[in-house]
Amino acid sequence: MIRTELKRGTAELAILSVLEQGPLHGYEIGRRIEEHSAGALCYTLAALYPLLYRMEHRGWLHASWMIGDNGKRRRCYRLTTRGKKMLKPMRAEWRDLFRALRRVARVSHA
Amino acid sequence: MPDWRAYVRENLDRLPGSPAEQRQVVRELAEHLEEYYLATRANGLSEKEAFANACAQAGNWEELRRGITLAQQEEIMQERVRQIWLPGLVTLLASYFVLAALQRAAMRYFAAHPGIPHGVVYYVPWLLLLPLVGAIGGYLSRRARGTGYQAYFAVLVPALGIGTFFLFLFLLAFVIGPRITLATKVSALAMGIINWAIFPGAALCAGAALQSLRRKNAVSSRGPRTV
Repeated sequence: MIRTELKRGTAELAILSVLEQGPLHGYEIGRRIEEHSAGALCYTLAALYPLLYRMEHRGWLHASWMIGDNGKRRRCYRLTTRGKKMLKPMRAEWRDLFRALRRVARVSHA
Repeated sequence: MPDWRAYVRENLDRLPGSPAEQRQVVRELAEHLEEYYLATRANGLSEKEAFANACAQAGNWEELRRGITLAQQEEIMQERVRQIWLPGLVTLLASYFVLAALQRAAMRYFAAHPGIPHGVVYYVPWLLLLPLVGAIGGYLSRRARGTGYQAYFAVLVPALGIGTFFLFLFLLAFVIGPRITLATKVSALAMGIINWAIFPGAALCAGAALQSLRRKNAVSSRGPRTV
């Protein structure tokens, strides 16, 4: 089980990564992150939405109301050019972090 | 089916933003909970269990409200920087860059003409060029979606700065120049503020007003938008 504090730091990268495949609404973002992480990363509303709003205000995401397959209006988020630009350095940063952790704490053998 | 909007509204009071923004947040969160509820029901959970699961999915409401407020505040701060402080800084730097350039030119080209006072030689052209600087500042503020008032405030930053500086000198004069009469101090303050804050401020505002007028004309000449 991953602790909440650790999960928070990963949320930005997780959101940007799932939105790289196309626009999604809040519930679907949370669901896909949970699915792709095999249930390890599961965000509550309190963790997900403030971050989505912050990323939207920073210009990384653009949100607009769209009509879904079931005819319901959903607020969908899509990656902006600035958001796409953020993804690459963020991935590199996490890769460096994991590499460093592996060296220091031998995480891969833990 | 539970009324999720009512549930969110009940738990998430004192939200920041306009009523329309608040409604949007409530609606979005309610739809998230509804989807979660329907998904867990489809997985075979009873209504009661699905409701409990959806409520747990919300997390801590106070934390959610605080998070949304902080996100909103961050946005307000960023907007103020883009709409007021950055255009204000550009106006300030450009104003004094133009002044310094004119002073240098005045010294170089008019030093040989003792009949022409230096001050006038650079001050009048400076005032005449300031509307251009004001127009740039106003444009930057409006481009960042600043309101008319914000654009005027941004271009007034140099005038407000220098006005504050003269006020500080006036107060300082009471400490370092007790022999100077009050009338002299007041007239020096008045002259300083009129020449270096009010006149330049008016010139900068004129530039912002012209830019705003040009913008309005451009919008009206485009005609109504079709979607």
